[in-house]
Amino acid sequence: MSRSYDRALTVFSPDGHLFQVTLTATNRNQLIRVIYRWNTLAKRSARVGVRGKDVVVLGVEKKSVLQLQDPRTVRKVVMLDDHVCLAFAGLTADGRVLIDKARIECQSHRLTVEDPVTVEYITKHIAGIKQIHEKYTQSGGVRPFGISTLIVGFDPDDTRPRLYQTEPSGIYSAWKANAIGRSSKTVREFLEKNHKDDLSREETIKLTVKSLLEVVQTGAKNIEISVMESYGKVTNLDLPEIEAIVAGIEREKEAEAERKRSRLAATAAGQAAMSSRADEGASGTPGQ
Amino acid sequence: METSFAITGKGYVIVAADTTAARSIVKMKTDEDKIKTLSEHLVMAYSGEPGDTLQFAEYVSRNIRLYAIRNLYALRPAAAAAWIRRALATSLRSRKPYSVNLLLGGYDETEHAPKLYWVDYLGTMDEVPFAAHGYGSYFALSLLDRYHDPSASLEEGLATLKRCIDEVSKRLVVSPGTYKVKIVDKDGVREVEL
Amino acid sequence: MNTFVQRFSTTGALSEARKAKALAADDEEFSDAAWGSEAGFGNIANGVPTFAVPAVPDPSAFLRLHTDDHADPSCRIKIQHGTTTLAFRYKGGVIVAVDSRATAGSYIASGTVKKVIEINPYLLGTMAGGAADCQYWETYLGIHCRLHELRNRERISVSAASKYLSNLVYSYKGMGLSMGTMICGWDKTGPAVFYVDSDGTRLKGDLFSVGSGSTHAYGVLDQGYHWDLSDEEAQELGRRSIYAAGHRDAFSGNTCNLYHIKQDGWHFLGNFDISKMHYEGPGDVPGSFGKGYGYDIRVEGRSSANPPPAAPTTTVTA
Repeated sequence: MSRSYDRALTVFSPDGHLFQVTLTATNRNQLIRVIYRWNTLAKRSARVGVRGKDVVVLGVEKKSVLQLQDPRTVRKVVMLDDHVCLAFAGLTADGRVLIDKARIECQSHRLTVEDPVTVEYITKHIAGIKQIHEKYTQSGGVRPFGISTLIVGFDPDDTRPRLYQTEPSGIYSAWKANAIGRSSKTVREFLEKNHKDDLSREETIKLTVKSLLEVVQTGAKNIEISVMESYGKVTNLDLPEIEAIVAGIEREKEAEAERKRSRLAATAAGQAAMSSRADEGASGTPGQ
Repeated sequence: METSFAITGKGYVIVAADTTAARSIVKMKTDEDKIKTLSEHLVMAYSGEPGDTLQFAEYVSRNIRLYAIRNLYALRPAAAAAWIRRALATSLRSRKPYSVNLLLGGYDETEHAPKLYWVDYLGTMDEVPFAAHGYGSYFALSLLDRYHDPSASLEEGLATLKRCIDEVSKRLVVSPGTYKVKIVDKDGVREVEL
Repeated sequence: MNTFVQRFSTTGALSEARKAKALAADDEEFSDAAWGSEAGFGNIANGVPTFAVPAVPDPSAFLRLHTDDHADPSCRIKIQHGTTTLAFRYKGGVIVAVDSRATAGSYIASGTVKKVIEINPYLLGTMAGGAADCQYWETYLGIHCRLHELRNRERISVSAASKYLSNLVYSYKGMGLSMGTMICGWDKTGPAVFYVDSDGTRLKGDLFSVGSGSTHAYGVLDQGYHWDLSDEEAQELGRRSIYAAGHRDAFSGNTCNLYHIKQDGWHFLGNFDISKMHYEGPGDVPGSFGKGYGYDIRVEGRSSANPPPAAPTTTVTA
């Protein structure tokens, strides 16, 4: 990139409006606000990452594909290297660029120090790119990357699963479980309530699906699950598997609701009985 | 002296390279792997100027891998060979060219055929049924003209390779002791003991 | 002192100049080299090697002209060449042993050279070839190992450290660097030894020896080496091999420095006089047999003479 870059920014808002922003220090903040607003706009879908005992799971809400669209060309979970997986939320176009930079760095790292990257290293790198872009916004020419990412994986020679999040500002942090994208707050709160340490593979997947179901109404066909079990071992669950998990969760919910209903019914019945007895008592007292 | 061979057969290509790393009169190492696996169905044997060989091989390997990660599919052997040749040709016109000779053995899953490319440090490339680099080639090429069979079974192919290695051990003054042998076929890359 | 303040201050004339310079160099303004693993090769600030080379069309020819003592014994710069260094890996860690002689042509410039470079408490580098090149670049490697540690919150692997060095010297290939070094250490994967030289060769291995005396050292080392050596045996083998080279190679000798790398880092085991080892042995140290290494001393009292058995003394009876 060089100075030939136009300093006047052409930015599309999610609803198709065109922003023309000439960058100065003051409207830089304005621009960043715009971008942060995008991140809270309900335009995007949810992504969840959950770390189990020795597995880490990424779940994404798939936008329903248009009838004539090839679903393989819409990807929200991508591999950065054999052992690192990334899900992003935000401007897809920015994501593509950032992912490519990250992929190059993964190979470049292998080339320069032979070892594959650690998950933290690549997270820090991605955060670093974002940060640089944010910084340069001050002098013009570049705008911040309008995306958040969840990065999961395993470090070489290590069995502990890793989960990191990066934000558009360049902040990064490690998590046990986290959500980004649409309604991430709701999902995160759900995770806070339900996450336990040392989840098994099945429990981790279930928690991921369950937390997504909090905000995804359409069920299994709009959920995509990637499971990383150890260094370089990634599987994407297919639809029947996800359907089975969703069905399981629904059955549980149903059973729970049933129990609740019967409990309610029981208490209601008890109350009714009591009140009726009282009534009886009342009516039983012969009016004298 | 560095020697490498490769031969194609029915549905496979075998690539062999010696395993010595020498500096002046000393063998520094006798189990060095000079055949890099570039993708699931592609290997590359390299020889030439010490330092250049490994730097170039790793540069190539990382770029081929990057392509596969970006596009979800690895380059086919012909495309990979063309890219690698181009990298060498570009390097030749630079201030400090890579002096590296290569044998590229791959299996094309679309054509269901083994592919073998002979590439030298000048950027010459040719698709061939068999190939060799180093002093060993002076003995092996004539031998292979006589004995190579493009439809040979794997056992026959390995036997022919054995002939090459034995001939070089018998006649070459400073012949290498051991070879690493890798096979590429529809199932991918595997190493065999000869 | 002042220069440091100036260099890192954000106000003042110098920093203004720096800012102007930064603005001028604007083509790569958005390069993320500072973030990449390529960050800091050769020069910490720029991310690309910028070590000055002589301002002549062909730096290596220039260097050869002034350093080749074979062609011209009165050349200006005499580079230290003769050496024996060795390092090997076994079940108990890594043994590093080197001699201590520096020669310039046929002149012994020093007998007390430190040819093991202590990169950090877990990494050792050996020195063969140009002493200055080894010393400078291996110290430089130390800086990068520390930066790696700070950036990644874990110690650098031996493999990564040796790769840094190898990439570094490779970028100067053909410009006259001369080094043959072993980078040894202990990391997550256990003991490790890498051979790196100025051709850009980098080899992972169990056992290496470098320098003019390496062939002599190999002769003893290869025969005595196996993976399951005890610590004492291993230390003795390293010492004995350097003695062998010091004894046979005119360009190696004086003393032997011995190091042992274990899980908790390297330990210096001592400095052993080669002449003393010849006549009296290494002294009272683990693995020592308490006898001189010299051939005459080892075989004292033994002889190859094989005279026919003396005829039985039979009394001749008349």
